[in-house]
Amino acid sequence: MFARLLFESFRRQQRRKAFALLAIALGMSITTAMIAVATDVGDKMNQELRTQSANLLITPVQDSLDVNIGGVNLKPASEGAYIRESDLPKMKDIFWGHNILGFAPFLSEQQSFVLNPHVTAESGDVHVGSLVTADLIGTYFSQELKTRNESFVTGVQTVNKFWQVQGQWPADDSTNALAGSSFAAKANLHPGDTIAVGGRTLTITGILTTGGPEDEAIVAPLHLVQQLLGHPDQVRRVVVSALTKPEDDFARRDPRSMSPTMFERWSCSPYANSIAFQIHDALPNVQVEQIRQVEQNQGRVLARISGLLLLLTIAALVAAGLAVSAVMAATIIERRHEVGLMKSLGAGNGAVASLFLTEAGLLALAGGFAGFAIGVVLAHRIGQSIFGSSITVHPVVLAIVVFAALVVALAGSTGAVRKAMRFDPALVLRGDA
Amino acid sequence: MKRAALLLRLMLKAVWVRKDRALTALTSIAVVATMATVALTVYSDLEGKFSREFRSFGANVIVSARGASLSADDPALMKTLALIKSTAGNKTEVVPVGYAIAQGPAGSPVVIGGTDLPAFKELNAWWSLDPVANSGGEALVGFRAAAALSPKGEPFQLTYNGKTISVQVAAIFHSGSEDDSRIYLNLPQFSALTGMQPNTAQLRLTGSAKEIEQQVARLSASLPQAEVKPVRQITAVQAAVLGKTRSIVLAASTVVVVLIVVCMVTTLTGSVLERRKDFAVMKALGASNSTVNLLFAGEAALTSLLGAIIGFIVGSGIALWIGEANFGAAITPRPLLLLPVILGSIFLALLASTAPLRILRRIQPAGILRGE
Repeated sequence: MFARLLFESFRRQQRRKAFALLAIALGMSITTAMIAVATDVGDKMNQELRTQSANLLITPVQDSLDVNIGGVNLKPASEGAYIRESDLPKMKDIFWGHNILGFAPFLSEQQSFVLNPHVTAESGDVHVGSLVTADLIGTYFSQELKTRNESFVTGVQTVNKFWQVQGQWPADDSTNALAGSSFAAKANLHPGDTIAVGGRTLTITGILTTGGPEDEAIVAPLHLVQQLLGHPDQVRRVVVSALTKPEDDFARRDPRSMSPTMFERWSCSPYANSIAFQIHDALPNVQVEQIRQVEQNQGRVLARISGLLLLLTIAALVAAGLAVSAVMAATIIERRHEVGLMKSLGAGNGAVASLFLTEAGLLALAGGFAGFAIGVVLAHRIGQSIFGSSITVHPVVLAIVVFAALVVALAGSTGAVRKAMRFDPALVLRGDA
Repeated sequence: MKRAALLLRLMLKAVWVRKDRALTALTSIAVVATMATVALTVYSDLEGKFSREFRSFGANVIVSARGASLSADDPALMKTLALIKSTAGNKTEVVPVGYAIAQGPAGSPVVIGGTDLPAFKELNAWWSLDPVANSGGEALVGFRAAAALSPKGEPFQLTYNGKTISVQVAAIFHSGSEDDSRIYLNLPQFSALTGMQPNTAQLRLTGSAKEIEQQVARLSASLPQAEVKPVRQITAVQAAVLGKTRSIVLAASTVVVVLIVVCMVTTLTGSVLERRKDFAVMKALGASNSTVNLLFAGEAALTSLLGAIIGFIVGSGIALWIGEANFGAAITPRPLLLLPVILGSIFLALLASTAPLRILRRIQPAGILRGE
């Protein structure tokens, strides 16, 4: 009997049920999409920022001091220590290796360049143009590297997107180079020009703007620069982009003073310090520092963004809940006649309430699932359009959403059902209530 | 006049007799208006709130005497600095820094900087500082420079052009940049040692990425003798943060507002359809289509006006709270948004309540009253 009543109610009031279902589904898709976006935005944003600029700096331990003013490196070439380039892929093997999104090594030294040497095909002699001094910097642009079990592409194009190039990026195995913007302006260099250094002729393919010392330099593929400077397999410093967790008090503690369990907990959190510590262990004779201007401030900003989205989500959830409750209440308020009729035919309050609440529950279940599906699609689309990678919705959100749908629908219905039952059936049927 | 009064009475009576129905309609409209207000208010203040956060990133523009000449004690740069202060808005912070190369005790070269130390420290708030206990000095020493010259923070000698001074270390800092190899002295001491004045200035410009770009362009135009460079490592991060946050907030709010609007339109449409008996009775009593339309529309407009105002107030309150809770600074209400919110709500309510009437009009009143 109860099942039949239920079935008939859905069959006869299709429009009304469809409205309620639509409302629940919409409310729950808001819930799904907002929860998914809010929980994932921190990671997505972190990833995005890590491509913009690196956050760790590796230097050799025994290095002498940098003597660098206004982008001019005055450190004597003979001085200082180096890091072995062939050791670098080892840092992908540390515990947090997957959090290391990329790195770029640098080797630089002051050199004399000959602008636009004319190489005549017959004689092969070089007509010396004007001579200028500048730093020659070698780095990876987009170099393919192999670690133990995977190959990956890394270089300034992946870790330092803030480097702006007008023209073409050079290939890592070419003799092409970038000219820093200030240097190019001073020396009147343009893409397509050539410069000679150490007996090799480099073709300028682009003009580089970084706002740093590179603006005064020529930036060329690392292996070429190593040959030119006579430092095979050596680099001066390496910048690393690692996904990190914002620093808290625990992160700042000195690992050497920790108990073994604390140390384990510390190294199992992707703090900048613990990743730096592990890189330090993996590579011989290096010192790893946070690039603090980037790393320290970013955590705060990321926390603000996540917080903002979280609060917006709470507001949206409350709004969706209210909207769904209002819809459920409205559909029951309109059915006062039914309540009156059922009661006058002898149905008790319990029977009426259980019928209505079961209906609401069924609608909530269906609406919850439908809303979850819509929400997943929406979250996916938002992720694709803003971050270019999809936002995945954790399956636990489904449970949350269905539960929320039930709570909201039942809460909205209960009040209205109780109100409907308080009226005298006779008055309701006559249309006076 | 009598007709208008009658209409008004019918409307008010309709609301009064079915208070709960009016209340649900009011709730759904108020919810829409609230969400719309929250989204618009937060979105429009995002840039302001984030540029406050970005202040902690420190200097985002460097001005240096062209050619990075180290003997730039010409008065031009001092004039330049005064000019920067006057051209780039008053919120800009300018910290002049002079750089020179001095020799440590062993004759090894080390870069020294002379600046207004408290302001410089404030600008580089992200440095981690290890104060040296009761040194009484002022100098800030990068950790690599300290490792070479003063491992425990003890005083050490610096020589420049035959002149020697003793440096008292106030703190050793880590920055993760080339500053780690430098020593910062206060400007009088630096000038006394080197006889130089600042040859660069670190600027913290505030505003959006675009405003900063404009300020940089203005500065380079008005300072032909100096080089004005944004610190792209910082500005790029800021632009990325702001751009992505704006889009994500916009996308999320759009989804929420659109879906809630659909939800509300559904509710209102449903509740109008439920009132087909009212509609039929009015028609049977001789009301014209336009009168019935007017009545239903008027009711919807009144409800939505009230709902929009409630929603605007609640929404502004929520936005205020979001600002306080997340940014530590209130997001102030935007009275300018009130009108669009009201108009939007009324438009939607009219749409939701008059569309179903068109369907009802096709049905004979008698049929509805008979219960078909």
